[in-house]
Amino acid sequence: MSDLLSFSPAEIQAILLSIKVALCCAGISLPLALWVGYKMARYDFYGKAILESLIHLPLVMPPVATGYILLILLGTNGFLGNWFYETFGIRLAFSFYAAVIASIVVSFPLIVRAIRTSMEMVDTGLEDASRILGAGRWKTFYRITIPLAMPGVISGTILAFARSLGEFGATITFAGNIESETQTLPLAIYANMQVPGQENATLRLVIISVIISFIAMVLSEWYIKKMKDDRG
Amino acid sequence: MTEVNIKYIQTEFELVINERFSSGITGIFGPSGSGKTTLLKSIAGLIKPSEGNILVNDEVVFDKDKTDLAPGKRKIGYVFQEGRLFPHMSVEKNLRYGMKNSSGQSIGFDEVVDLLDLRNILDRKPNRISGGERQRTALGRALLSNPDLLLLDEPFSAVDVMLRDQIIPFILNIRETTSIPIMVVSHDLPDLLKLTSTLFLIKNGRSIGHGNYYELLKNQEVSDFLGSNPLINAIDMQIKDISEEKEIMQLVKEVKGREVIIKCKTALKGKETGNSIRIFLHADHIALSSGPLEQVSIQNQLKGVVTDLIHRESSVLCMIDAGVKLAVEITSDSQERMKIKPGSNVCCLFKSVAIDIIG
Repeated sequence: MSDLLSFSPAEIQAILLSIKVALCCAGISLPLALWVGYKMARYDFYGKAILESLIHLPLVMPPVATGYILLILLGTNGFLGNWFYETFGIRLAFSFYAAVIASIVVSFPLIVRAIRTSMEMVDTGLEDASRILGAGRWKTFYRITIPLAMPGVISGTILAFARSLGEFGATITFAGNIESETQTLPLAIYANMQVPGQENATLRLVIISVIISFIAMVLSEWYIKKMKDDRG
Repeated sequence: MTEVNIKYIQTEFELVINERFSSGITGIFGPSGSGKTTLLKSIAGLIKPSEGNILVNDEVVFDKDKTDLAPGKRKIGYVFQEGRLFPHMSVEKNLRYGMKNSSGQSIGFDEVVDLLDLRNILDRKPNRISGGERQRTALGRALLSNPDLLLLDEPFSAVDVMLRDQIIPFILNIRETTSIPIMVVSHDLPDLLKLTSTLFLIKNGRSIGHGNYYELLKNQEVSDFLGSNPLINAIDMQIKDISEEKEIMQLVKEVKGREVIIKCKTALKGKETGNSIRIFLHADHIALSSGPLEQVSIQNQLKGVVTDLIHRESSVLCMIDAGVKLAVEITSDSQERMKIKPGSNVCCLFKSVAIDIIG
């Protein structure tokens, strides 16, 4: 039993790295998804359907394929990756950044969908009321639209966080499986499964994954319920 | 002065308005779909007219191709039909939402809270207050945004009939305290007449009359348009005497050296002799006789002269100058039998219980 609870430094690294990647993913996706979700919910524009399909593509594509496309685009020899390397001196592929980017791409449809749906439910009449009271579009957005869409914003963010925690295919293709740099929980679990005698380590990491995801879900459910109770 | 010269063209609807609105309370009346709300939304900047211009307080807020001020820059207070309070904010936060930090606020927070009797509900969320309180909060929120013009879009329709009469004094109070011009939209004529006698009548996107209610009634087209709507007389009076014992109040209005006296039931608490009061009397709750009656229980008998007769479907509207202007609706049969015509001397009879009081 004591063996089951003794984490190796590499395992702790994987856990911390996973949380870090997931937090970065949620943190970067959120403002972007708020903006995209709002535009999608409130405006009709040329190419909206195409943009929508593009955003949702990673949801239906095999993650490995997504990772491969990222590698083609953002790898050091890729068109964007090359530009990025020459401009900022940063190699994206097979780095911590790659793990974050892979997470963002696969979880973005989830967070956008949740935010967009909840924003569509916000009565535009309240936004009109706000604007007549002298608030500009920006103030109306952060004082009326976002707070009223908050349940969707939160569940979307948690979804993105959780999806990032579980991300495997795109990460291993685009970021690789480098210990303490890109080896997140699912990758560490997979690596341990390949080695005979590492059953305990595998189980430890699986339990940790369950616990983190569970806490995130409980927190979001609790917060959404509290908010609904507040408004009645 | 608010001036609206606009065309708003949609596939199956066209609104054409060329009007100047007075600085008092204007009641905008018309059936559903006539363009009342479209007019208010155009003034507020929520929809863009196809052409024309709009001036609020003599400032151009819209002029096709030249000016199109954002709603927030037009200095307009708008009270929506459903109130549209922000559900995630307390009443106090709702009220303060449109307040500017800078001074120059013509009416203060505490003043509005007292005027609209909101003190006890400041920390409650909108879902925890009554319909009437919600509508008052919406009024207060609009007032605190320091507007040059108040637009009220069907402010009564979301409120029970019983509560409507409770909101009307608040609106009259606002007008008295702040002298902000008010435009009220309603499809309920009696409600409007309780607020104002200046009406703007609209039908299928076109104006069919604008001005004093009694003057408008003389127009046959207007009279037909108002059709089956109950007509109400609204009279501003002063309390002369209150008899607690008999539960009767004597009201007075001085017109050209003559005192018009009306008696009604004392229904209002906290009113004293000398206070102003507004009374309402349905046109068909008044009877006419050719002279004063002696042995009769009816408390009010006002002598007057018929100035106009307006024929409606099965009745006749007699406009009578009895010191105060009164519209009296009687059957065509009675009018013929009594040979009433312009210039006839008549006596207007109405019971004290027929009078509604607000104020």
